[in-house]
Amino acid sequence: MKDDSVKHPQAAAEFLKDRAQAKWHDSAIWWVRQKRDAQAKQLPEWEELRRLAREIKAHTLSQLDDYLAQFEANAQKNGVTVHWAADADEHNRIVHGILAAKQVKKLVKSKSMLTEECGLNPYLEQHGIEVVDTDLGERIVQLRHEAPSHIVMPAIHLKKEQISELFHKELGTEAGNNDPTYLTHAARANLREHFLTADAGLTGVNFAIAETGGVVVCTNEGNADLGTSLPPIHIASMGLEKIIPKLEHLGVFTRLLARSAIGSPVTTYTSHFHQARPGGEMHIVIVDNGRSEILGNEDFYQSLRCIRCGACMNTCPVYRRSSGFSYSYIIPGPIGSTLGPSRDMKKHGSMAFACSTCGSCSNVCPVKINLHEQLVLHRKKAFDQNLLPAGKKMGLLAMRFLTQHPALFDLGGKVMRKVVPIIPESLTRHSAWSRAGRDVPPMPSQSFKELYQQRSKDKKDKEGQQ
Amino acid sequence: MSARDKILARIRQNRPQASALPDIHAVPFIRYDNQFEAFATLIRNLGGDAVQLQDGQSVADVVAARWPDAGRTVDLTVAQHEEVDDPHAWHDVDIAIVPGQLAVAENATVWVSHPDNRFRSIYFLTQKLVLVVPREAMVDTMRDAYARIQLAEHGFGAFISGSSRTADIEQSLVMGAHGAMAALVIFV
Repeated sequence: MKDDSVKHPQAAAEFLKDRAQAKWHDSAIWWVRQKRDAQAKQLPEWEELRRLAREIKAHTLSQLDDYLAQFEANAQKNGVTVHWAADADEHNRIVHGILAAKQVKKLVKSKSMLTEECGLNPYLEQHGIEVVDTDLGERIVQLRHEAPSHIVMPAIHLKKEQISELFHKELGTEAGNNDPTYLTHAARANLREHFLTADAGLTGVNFAIAETGGVVVCTNEGNADLGTSLPPIHIASMGLEKIIPKLEHLGVFTRLLARSAIGSPVTTYTSHFHQARPGGEMHIVIVDNGRSEILGNEDFYQSLRCIRCGACMNTCPVYRRSSGFSYSYIIPGPIGSTLGPSRDMKKHGSMAFACSTCGSCSNVCPVKINLHEQLVLHRKKAFDQNLLPAGKKMGLLAMRFLTQHPALFDLGGKVMRKVVPIIPESLTRHSAWSRAGRDVPPMPSQSFKELYQQRSKDKKDKEGQQ
Repeated sequence: MSARDKILARIRQNRPQASALPDIHAVPFIRYDNQFEAFATLIRNLGGDAVQLQDGQSVADVVAARWPDAGRTVDLTVAQHEEVDDPHAWHDVDIAIVPGQLAVAENATVWVSHPDNRFRSIYFLTQKLVLVVPREAMVDTMRDAYARIQLAEHGFGAFISGSSRTADIEQSLVMGAHGAMAALVIFV
């Protein structure tokens, strides 16, 4: 399980101690961002697609109760049993109830951040049910007793040598064989056995279609399909914001999802489930767990448009340089940094500060969530609720005082420009921005304001001469 | 009050401001001059291949030429095809030849939802997946595709693009994660 007591600055500092690993993490994820750009550029209508996706989701959220009721009615018509869970505990109890009624011993799961959020695996394991995560990345972190560090690439924090060692211990692969193809196919053989012997399969949901009462699950591996086409029970767990009104709207979302997430034109499998396989039963669990509260918050409800593609974390300069485990909430990166504090400000407040406010996340988001603006608003809330460390709070109060007194601000700048260059290194060494080998940057002779005034004056003089 | 009614009541109370549903057909989407070429170029990067059946050639010829040492082969494109009573019984299929109803040029996917198939597990258990698609059943984008597909197989249907794959180990792309290790689309 994820350590939800971490504070971002300390955890990130710890992560950055291994410079080589940190650099690899940064560049591996940046590569995915570049692949995303290449895909986006191939479609002249890319920005229009984002606009459509945003508007479809905004509309759906504005009538979400109606669409959920419509979805439920249509799912029931298809013969699917629909369950409603107000919170994580209720979700876990419902899932366990379905499994216990059929004496299920082994459950195969495909990727679901919702079940991570609800803590389903440990709950079921306590009740004697074997849970096998089947997405390769999820399986790796499950065997390591870790949480996923990224919502789309769960094991992106690991090197192949670590995975080789893990598989040698757990699956009996050759020691020292680090070949990704060899390791992947070893996991394939092992997980096939689990698929063929599982009593039930659980999937997440990418999209739930109100018009047809069905759910869509997208994977590259095919694990959701194997996990639902073999065992007689299929449970689909979904957050209540996954609804879209009509089947045709997938013509927008399936064009955006994989391109944004992994820089592929589509996932290998885009599967539409409306009934269990013959002889089976299908259940859908609709989960609230705080979402309906966020819906009522004017500043933050837009975060419910999220389709969990992960593009915001791939582009985030802070995420790439701090890794998912530096974030206390189960979902890291920009989207997690608004969802986490919305859920529990005390616990996850530090996440809102893991942001340079560069706005890149908002610019790549396929549903155009104003992510960086939400993080700034969460900072304000954290300040108002007195949740900042004393030093940070003092700094902000001093800054506020200064910005309200421009003359003092100007004077302060002037003094700093004179004093900083002559501060002995022994005093700056321990500041948050310093580390061995890093010097204080040279101070400019003029402030920005002075430069700007000078420039305006020069321009005026020049125009006057002409 | 049930959990359902409580949740729906809270959502109703917290409804954000009204917002109109856009017309997704009002925006022009990309068109391909040569749909087959776009499809075939793409699928070769996705662990698959695409060919057009030539005169005098049969699907069986193409499959046999590609995989001469085939193991258990099941052909769902014929009317009297093999059936099983348990979805697990497909576990040792080497080649599955299945009908695809529609192909999409922009992303090399094929829509599979076959009214005459009992257990969908065959699509995912098979080692090699052969999708047989009428050559006129090709559209440019997913928007066109969703206007034409039918959910004809026990409420199930899938867009399948190439072979099963993963990049979960150090971002190295590996074909053959859980589903088919290879995919071949034959346009007839």
